[in-house]
Amino acid sequence: MYFILLSIFFPILAGLFLLIRFRTPLSGEKAGTDRKPLLVLTGIFLVITAVFAFAAPLTAREGFTLFYLTETLPIYFRIDSVGQLFSLLAVIVLLCAGFFSFSYMKHEERESRYYGFYLILFGVLNALCFAGNLITFYLFFELLTLSSMPLVLHNGSREAIMAGLKYLFYSLCGAYGALFGIYFLYQSCDTLTFTAGGVLKETAVTQHGGFLLLTAFVMLLGFGVKAGMFPMHAWLPTAHPVAPAPASAVLSAVIVKAGVLAVVRITGYIFGTGFLRGTWVQTVWMCLTLITVFMGSMLAYREPVLKKRLAYSTVSQLSYILFGLAVMNEASLVGSLFQVLAHGFVKAALFLCAGAIIYKTGKTRVEEMRGIGKEMPLTMWCWTIASLGLVGIPPTGGFVSKWYLALGSLKSGLPVLDVLGPIILLVSALLTAGYLLPLTIHGFFPGGDYDYSGLQKKEPRKLMTVPILILTSLPVVIGLFPDTIAGIILMAVKGR
Amino acid sequence: MIISVILIPFIAGILVPIIPFQKRWQKEVFLETAVVLNSILVWYLLLHHSDSTFLLAHFTGNLNISFRVDGMSMVFAGLVSALWPFATLYAFEYMTKEKHENVFFLFYTLTYGVTLGIALAANLLTMYFFYELLTLVTVPLVMHTLTREAILASRKYLYYSLGGAAFAFLGLIMVIVYGSTTDFILGGVLDPAKTVGKTNVLLLIYVMAFMGFGVKAAVCPFNSWLPQASVAPTPVTALLHAVAVVKSGAFAIIRLTYYSFGTDFLKGTWAQDVVMAVVMFTIVYGCSRAVKETHLKRRLAYSTISNLSYILFGAVIMTPLGLVGALTHLVFHAVMKISSFFCAGAIMHQTDRHYVHELNGLGYKMPCVFGIFTVASLALMGVPGLAGFVSKWNLAQAAVESGNPLAWGGIACLLVSALLTAIYMLTIVVRAFFPGKDFDYGTVSGIRDPNWKMLLPLFIFTVFIILFGVYSQPLVDFFMEVAGGNI
Amino acid sequence: MNFICNFPFFSILLSLFSGTVCSVLPAKAAKAVNRVVIIAVGLMSAVLLLYLLSTGESFIYWMGHFPAPWGNEIRAGVLEAGMALFFCIIMYLSMAGGAHKLPGEVVESKHNLYYILVNLLLSSLLALVYTNDMFTAYVFVEINTISACGLIMIRQVGRTIEAAVRYMIMSLLGSGLLLFGLCIMYDLTGHLLMSNIKESVAQLIAAGEYQIPLIVSVALMCIGLCIKSALFPFHAWLPDAYGYSTVSSAAILSSLVSKGYIFLLIKIIYRVIGFDIFNSTRIIDVLFVFGLMGMIFGSLSAIKENDIRRMIAFSSVAQIGYIYMGFGMGTQAGMVASVFHILSHAATKSLLFIAAIGLTDVSGGSRKFIDLTGAAYRNKWAGVAFTAGSLSMVGIPLFSGFISKLLFAQAAVQVEGKMLASLIVLGISTVLNAIYFMKTVIRIYTTAGESPYSGVTFRDMKAYAVTLLFFILLNVALGVSSQPVVNMIEQGLAMFA
Repeated sequence: MYFILLSIFFPILAGLFLLIRFRTPLSGEKAGTDRKPLLVLTGIFLVITAVFAFAAPLTAREGFTLFYLTETLPIYFRIDSVGQLFSLLAVIVLLCAGFFSFSYMKHEERESRYYGFYLILFGVLNALCFAGNLITFYLFFELLTLSSMPLVLHNGSREAIMAGLKYLFYSLCGAYGALFGIYFLYQSCDTLTFTAGGVLKETAVTQHGGFLLLTAFVMLLGFGVKAGMFPMHAWLPTAHPVAPAPASAVLSAVIVKAGVLAVVRITGYIFGTGFLRGTWVQTVWMCLTLITVFMGSMLAYREPVLKKRLAYSTVSQLSYILFGLAVMNEASLVGSLFQVLAHGFVKAALFLCAGAIIYKTGKTRVEEMRGIGKEMPLTMWCWTIASLGLVGIPPTGGFVSKWYLALGSLKSGLPVLDVLGPIILLVSALLTAGYLLPLTIHGFFPGGDYDYSGLQKKEPRKLMTVPILILTSLPVVIGLFPDTIAGIILMAVKGR
Repeated sequence: MIISVILIPFIAGILVPIIPFQKRWQKEVFLETAVVLNSILVWYLLLHHSDSTFLLAHFTGNLNISFRVDGMSMVFAGLVSALWPFATLYAFEYMTKEKHENVFFLFYTLTYGVTLGIALAANLLTMYFFYELLTLVTVPLVMHTLTREAILASRKYLYYSLGGAAFAFLGLIMVIVYGSTTDFILGGVLDPAKTVGKTNVLLLIYVMAFMGFGVKAAVCPFNSWLPQASVAPTPVTALLHAVAVVKSGAFAIIRLTYYSFGTDFLKGTWAQDVVMAVVMFTIVYGCSRAVKETHLKRRLAYSTISNLSYILFGAVIMTPLGLVGALTHLVFHAVMKISSFFCAGAIMHQTDRHYVHELNGLGYKMPCVFGIFTVASLALMGVPGLAGFVSKWNLAQAAVESGNPLAWGGIACLLVSALLTAIYMLTIVVRAFFPGKDFDYGTVSGIRDPNWKMLLPLFIFTVFIILFGVYSQPLVDFFMEVAGGNI
Repeated sequence: MNFICNFPFFSILLSLFSGTVCSVLPAKAAKAVNRVVIIAVGLMSAVLLLYLLSTGESFIYWMGHFPAPWGNEIRAGVLEAGMALFFCIIMYLSMAGGAHKLPGEVVESKHNLYYILVNLLLSSLLALVYTNDMFTAYVFVEINTISACGLIMIRQVGRTIEAAVRYMIMSLLGSGLLLFGLCIMYDLTGHLLMSNIKESVAQLIAAGEYQIPLIVSVALMCIGLCIKSALFPFHAWLPDAYGYSTVSSAAILSSLVSKGYIFLLIKIIYRVIGFDIFNSTRIIDVLFVFGLMGMIFGSLSAIKENDIRRMIAFSSVAQIGYIYMGFGMGTQAGMVASVFHILSHAATKSLLFIAAIGLTDVSGGSRKFIDLTGAAYRNKWAGVAFTAGSLSMVGIPLFSGFISKLLFAQAAVQVEGKMLASLIVLGISTVLNAIYFMKTVIRIYTTAGESPYSGVTFRDMKAYAVTLLFFILLNVALGVSSQPVVNMIEQGLAMFA
């Protein structure tokens, strides 16, 4: 149990320590020239936190209550397989992006603030993964929003601040929607502890079944905000691109997954799939996810700014996951959770690549990046591989997850949607290829009329490339051993 | 004993202009001693309370002025007496920049006594009496600066309050005529034998009396005095217009609803629906206006309007749990709002800036004040782990449990309001800490955190915000006892 | 017959003759006589009251020991004696409070005239209170009118003459209507003594004869007295009459003269027509409606007013509306409330007039609000007194106004059909009262820079300050220990029946 607490509170305290210890002077100048102590400390803290987070599941699997918020509201932590899965993703991405930032953030102001909140975010994410009941989850869900907002508006431009506020208000709006549900659930459930199969009272279901469905829907929409689900997705393409690239990576790869985790928790562990399956909530929800999938891809396809394009892509890809969750059968769940991992790694890698390009060349728009492959071959190779992963070309993880998703959908036996789902997924995959691969193509084959004379080697430092490489290789690795991973996930799904 | 806690502030207040103090600190020491002493006395009284009623004077007929300590009085008197010493301490520092100090402290201290009178009143008449008195002793405080704005504000305050009292008076009459007694008895005092066939009239009068007392609690559409009254010096806006005065309104409504008319009589009637609808509207309305408002104190005042209606929302659910929710928010909101008002006051005192858009970049110059402001904002939003969450949780649970569909809608209002709260509070925080890239830090040079007299109350309140957030059980248990009529 | 039973008669005669005596005395002596008479009458009334309370029943005094129908009767009950005592107190305080202004307001040569009028007024008021004879009542109504007119006119400013003429015309109209009513009544019953009329009226009603003439007669009498007591909408004469006369006159007129008529109306209702019969007519509904309207429109006019004295005068219209609302309820409780309000309003209104003069004096004599800014700092006593009076008017507990409001509201609740209307109007009227009185209070406590007017200290106005103090005490006494007073009123009304 100590490791759970350490993995949560150590980074939070460490972050606060950084915020206070390395207060930047007010003049608005660059932070002092000596970044070393800050970076070293941050690095050490990150690694220690990662160790704690890895160690936590190994040492304790039974839950414990930290304290009671009120007599009936315990703050309760427990590690289960799903939480572990998300924690794995979070730790890896945060570590990689963290180290990536060391060189990326060189030119930014107020680095200490960035790292401070980064660490706090780390702790909050761990807490989310290990939260054992809905109240605890909600608590850290709110904190997640608050602690990630400073990352979004980090660069301090007016645009960034507005984006940060937009992010904040959308997220809070979603959280309050969820809270609305929690208020009602508290009376309709025996406990709010996450229990596989749901915790609804029989009597409540028979008496207020209809209202509970509405509650479920509101909660799905509410948590769905964080996962960028239509109709509350607008914050995502605004907020993700304005953040510094490593922060965007974290936002797109991990933080939005908190929304996914929330949806997993409430569908599987609070309401129970049995209660929701076959109701209007499922239908509407599936429709929303499919709309989001398609819309996200279309918008990404039309978007000229690279990071924004990636953000739209996130909108689309997240709804793959949500679609899988909405189908609510075994195969689709496996597909969803697989997609969580696959998309997490891939999207982090893509954002880091974009960050590397911006850092080195300052180019943000896709059409400016002709011939970039000649300048930064390693980065572009990584980009290409990651793109393929997102499109779903074997042997990457993306292929496996989509396979399971399609399988689950077809097996579900839902009218119309069982076939429509895979079709839309396919179309979206094509669009994905359409919006990601042109960069590769133009990057490596700028065309005959291209002037090669201005090219120079711009490959970034190892501190940047190594995280990218790691993150690129991971989806390939999980794609190469789909059975093992799927088996583990299946265990997680079944072992609820 | 019980009368002395009301009299001590009176005497101390009247002595302030009379005693010729040589130095300022002497006056401060005198006042602070009196106030602290009185607070200690109040707490002693509350902790060793007996059930007996202290009869001060017969009025007319069977009406009398009498005092008694019961659960509700313990909550309100305890709250007020806990906050007053801090507010006084804060006022010393704040008032260094203002004129007519003696008059100010005279009425400020009088208000303490009057508020305790409201809290400790044993029957509706006594409460009404102190309620009217409260209006009168607080008017000079609003008028204090004697600017045109202040005069207009105090006029409006006076009209609204006295007018409200006029309608609350009708409720008093109903209780006198149709009740068995005017004493406060949980569950109401209406005599079923007398009320036969008069239900609708009684309900109508209840609604009127609710709105009448609601004027002080700034229920829409009678709320416009509150933002205007924020021209008063900050200790007044903080303590009186976030706690003492406005909560007296809420307190009076609780007394009226639970202890005079009785929830059995009101629950499930159209009157409940009407007042609940009004309250729900006010919750959202107050917040929306707060979002639009750019003057810092007025924004907080609008926020108070909305939050007061949270309390009333709990009250009009008309179940014991609803009362618990109302009481929780009554206490917690007091701490949160007074904290944020004191921050606003500190900002005004240190920088003379009044508008939200002038606060850019101050966060780094006044880290303590803005740190505390941030905590208060988060608490008001209802972030778990801070006080606001607990009270909202209690309110929402009461609403869910009541099974009243309108109350369920009220939960939605609470949440919409929470979102709006986030908008109007956090924009300030963001401005202060993230002024933007091209912000010229020269404009905020030379600004510092205020001295310890201002910061000490702030820190203490912040500690309480957090403490209530993570460990509120004993307090909530106590409220349960109160709502159950066990105390 | 006990010696004390002569007191009512003595007091009427005493004041009547002292008036005559005053005409030959120098001003100073007239003043002294006036004061002494008021005190003497007050003392006699007090003794009478105690006596009546101890015996517990009213008595009828035959003037010259001629029995009815030839003789003239005086009747004294608890209510009459109490009212007489109260009138004396108010009159004394009003005279004392306005005394220092008199030299400035009235030319020296007319001072003893002034005291004559006051004494006459007192005697007529006492006669209205005590008489048991309709014709006597009518006679003293006229005396009252004339002396009141004189009091208005004695301050010879253009406005007052106009006001006096207006007052005269309206009052005479009222007296005329009263006389008509009286004639019809005499026609129908053949009596002028109240008790006899009452018996005949009861017989007529029982027999079902002359219903319409009877109603007409009652209505005429009511309207006549309503005009004289300035019930809305017959209040047009009032603001000028009260607003421009000398301060003592204004105080006396507003708090006593109109009350005298109202008291006469009460007597008519109880002693002439019979309470139940009166209530069974539609007249009470009319009174009720006019009362309510008066409460609102009087206050609205007061809000618009820019002159403090006229504002207070308009406020009287509203307060008289309260009293008629109490009549209109048609219950004993309503009547008690009305009678209490007569007392409470008399105590408060005269206080306000007297206090207002203190405020205007330190504001260069101007009555405009703009000049009154900060006046309360220049004359602290007047400021406090005005505030106290205002609070009483608004109905703050501890002051008399609260009790009357309480009684009115309690009475209203018991009347099925009129409850909501009266309660709501009561609420609205309180709001309106609050608006204009509190506006003034805030105004006089506002300092806007240096004022061009100098202030006064306690030493400059001892008598004035003490008077104000007594007024405030009277108000608070009525507000705090109202129960004995209410008991007395109930007892007195019971004696009427």
